[in-house]
Amino acid sequence: MFSRRTLLASFTALAFSAAGAYAKETLKIAFIPQENPEKLLGDIDVITKWMGEQLGVPVQGFVTFDHAAAVEALRNGDADVSFMGALPFVLAEAQMGAEALVSEVYRGYPSYAGRVFVRKDSGIETLADLKGRDIAFADPVSESGYLYPLDLFVEDGLFTGTQGAVDFFGNSFFAGGYQQAMQAMANGLVDAAGASQYADMLLSPEQQTEIKVIGESVQIPSHAIIARPDLAANMKAKFTDMMLTLNAPENRHLLAYLYGPDGYVVADTAAYDGVREMALKYGLLE
Amino acid sequence: MQRFLATAVMCLLPVTAQATALEEAPWAPRAAAYRLTLFLGNLDPMPWVKLEHSWAVPVAGSARSVSAISKMTEAEVNAITLALEEQDRHALFIAATDVVENGILHSLAVASERLGTADAAEHVARAQALYRAFVDGIQAGDPAGFRRLGRAWLTLNSAVGSAGLSQSGAPEPDREAFAAARTVIETYLRDNFTAGDIAPRAKLTSLPETIVQTGVQVDVPVSLPPGSDIADQREFPRLVLQFEEAGLDEADMPLVAYGDMLFDSPQIFGGPARDLGISCSTCHNRSDVNRDFFIPGLSSHAGGMDVDGSFFNPMFNDRTDDHLDTPSLRGIRFTGPYGRDGREASLRDFTRNVIVTEFAGEEPTPFQLDALLAYMRQFDFLPNPQIDRAGRLTALVSDAAKRGETLFNTPFEGLNGRACASCHTPDLNFRNGQAYDIGSSVAPFEGGTVTQFDTPTLRNINFTAPYMHDGSISTLDLVVDWFNDSKSLNLSTDERADLTAYLKAIGDGEDPYQVFEGRESTFRLAFDELTTFASTLNTLIPMQDAENIALLVDTVAPDLAADASVMVNQTAKPDVYLLSAHLRAVGDASAAGNWDDAAAAWDMFKTLQSEINEGMY
Repeated sequence: MFSRRTLLASFTALAFSAAGAYAKETLKIAFIPQENPEKLLGDIDVITKWMGEQLGVPVQGFVTFDHAAAVEALRNGDADVSFMGALPFVLAEAQMGAEALVSEVYRGYPSYAGRVFVRKDSGIETLADLKGRDIAFADPVSESGYLYPLDLFVEDGLFTGTQGAVDFFGNSFFAGGYQQAMQAMANGLVDAAGASQYADMLLSPEQQTEIKVIGESVQIPSHAIIARPDLAANMKAKFTDMMLTLNAPENRHLLAYLYGPDGYVVADTAAYDGVREMALKYGLLE
Repeated sequence: MQRFLATAVMCLLPVTAQATALEEAPWAPRAAAYRLTLFLGNLDPMPWVKLEHSWAVPVAGSARSVSAISKMTEAEVNAITLALEEQDRHALFIAATDVVENGILHSLAVASERLGTADAAEHVARAQALYRAFVDGIQAGDPAGFRRLGRAWLTLNSAVGSAGLSQSGAPEPDREAFAAARTVIETYLRDNFTAGDIAPRAKLTSLPETIVQTGVQVDVPVSLPPGSDIADQREFPRLVLQFEEAGLDEADMPLVAYGDMLFDSPQIFGGPARDLGISCSTCHNRSDVNRDFFIPGLSSHAGGMDVDGSFFNPMFNDRTDDHLDTPSLRGIRFTGPYGRDGREASLRDFTRNVIVTEFAGEEPTPFQLDALLAYMRQFDFLPNPQIDRAGRLTALVSDAAKRGETLFNTPFEGLNGRACASCHTPDLNFRNGQAYDIGSSVAPFEGGTVTQFDTPTLRNINFTAPYMHDGSISTLDLVVDWFNDSKSLNLSTDERADLTAYLKAIGDGEDPYQVFEGRESTFRLAFDELTTFASTLNTLIPMQDAENIALLVDTVAPDLAADASVMVNQTAKPDVYLLSAHLRAVGDASAAGNWDDAAAAWDMFKTLQSEINEGMY
């Protein structure tokens, strides 16, 4: 049976447990939390062990709060490489010279799109119908969850720039993530959501039947793994080669521990030109 | 972003009736403990030890593998501990509510202090993760409040700014908007979730106290606690249907197809089972077992549960925490009597017992029982070339297995002069239809008679671990050890290994799990099944059987739409929704007695099915 002593002892032990320190020789990898951090934490143990065996150095993985925190970790040396979205990558590239090593491939392509979702019963058919209505985006530093859906309105001539969005929409929110934006739309808190083309999968099946897409962006480069600029060149090369071996049939099962892409390709820095232009267009880059 | 494809789909809402139950988003540890407290606190009798564990031990469904108490203040730990010690239900509810409310208020205060830093957004996220513990009660009981708070959270997340990359032009925090939204949330929480103001409740829910005080009856949708897993089986058992193996098509066998539909239908159950989308196949997936099925408080381990507690049918509450391992239904026509204790000789009677008594369903019609039995009687074992028709080993087995066969047929004094084979009779599919007290249970009272359990078949047992009626033994090796020790068989280590080798030989089966590759996806399988179920309309519409059409439509139409969410070919989702709508039209027309319209809608279904068939994966 339980007792006050049991509970208090557990509490005390946990309260005074110290976080482990990373050894200096380790390769430190920042993972971005996805929608199931518990799975990610378990996955990290598996994949970093495999990476350590391949690279011949200990590999330590940790989860950051968001992309911005991962960039900060790269900047201050807490991370050597990090998983990263296209927009935060080009910002990190401009700010600190971060370098993209490999890109994820999904369904044969290293790209995806942003979309604008509405409820079917909203009566909203076009982007123009959202004038004076409320929209939730995912995050201000998100390509598919903000800039690219926003740009759909601009390209349709409905407004210009982020300030134009303020005037066009009734209210424009950053919900804190794709799921929050989609739930806000599905629950009727807002009229529309700007999010990844796959964000509808964050709704219940019933909710998925109740929504539709009224806008889809051009293709966006998929997520990459980026390195801090002063990481040793041979480590960058070894890391890149190692990631590409995940495409081999005997290693493909390991992709499930890495957000489940189809595979990886060497990052094509030119592929991010569109993202750089988008960041320039909306004042995130100078 | 694309990685959503690979991640668990999640849902903030309580589970609703659906074929494809979504994996819930992970819970914050304190929110998980609170939700578990609500669920366990509504069981009768309350499982106090499990309640303690929900606070002291990391919950399987929580985001981080840390206990709730590791995130709590000492005062909060003391309050929870005292309530548990005194087994005071209301005090526990009060203390648990306090933990969540305090956590939200604290994180919002920290976020407010740190606006302009990277920490602020993280603390807002923490607060919102805790708020999720309350949200379904708020949504059910106070829709206007739910909307007001939802907008406040949107405002908080927007006003917090994006400090990490602020030098790149990301927005600065909006302190005024943040403060206003924080006030909305804090005021609501203090009005509705402040411990001292909450009156004792007959049912523990996250309904706001001001709503409860109005006396208005509010039904909070039933939900399962964190750590539950009812429809996320990792390995799909292979279904062996006798007619299918013989080359017949289920669509040509309307009674079987309708029974297959009923086996997958929550509509035949009542109460929470129906609301949660639980059907026969939820536990007995594809004639075998959902080995991942787990509901905290009801299951002692995955693959079973206590079916006669207060949750599913309070009328059938035996007030005993007696987990049962879910039996495989493979070869069920050959394995009577039924129930772990062999209490029903008739599969028909037992099936009725499951529907009505265990899961609170309405009395099934004779036609529905006929259909269910017609389907279940087609379940066969996995073929096993290591045994012949009489259950004798073939030449394919190891020498160890052959030695084990001799031991299996050897009488032992510790078995009252019987051999293992006396009960697990090889030419009776390794069972004998009798029930025995083998010492695996205890008497209900001193001097009472111990429950006897039906001799289970040993066919395909390599895939049915854990073993015994309560799943208390994890491997076949340990089962042999248990018999050796409890029955004083005095087998040597080698002999036990031989006996285990024999069990594994007779318990084997070919291709035990379904393999999904390319277009042979889980959705394709579901699509084929659901459209086969629908094919019984070819019979039901001419018969003008509105009752069974309604049951079919209520099962298949939502399942089709729900299953579309897991399609590989996401671009074809609208086609599936349209197909589902055609089926709904059949149901609507038949309910109204417009049989020409029903037939026309059914024709449209079949035409569309044919047109879109290629892309259904």
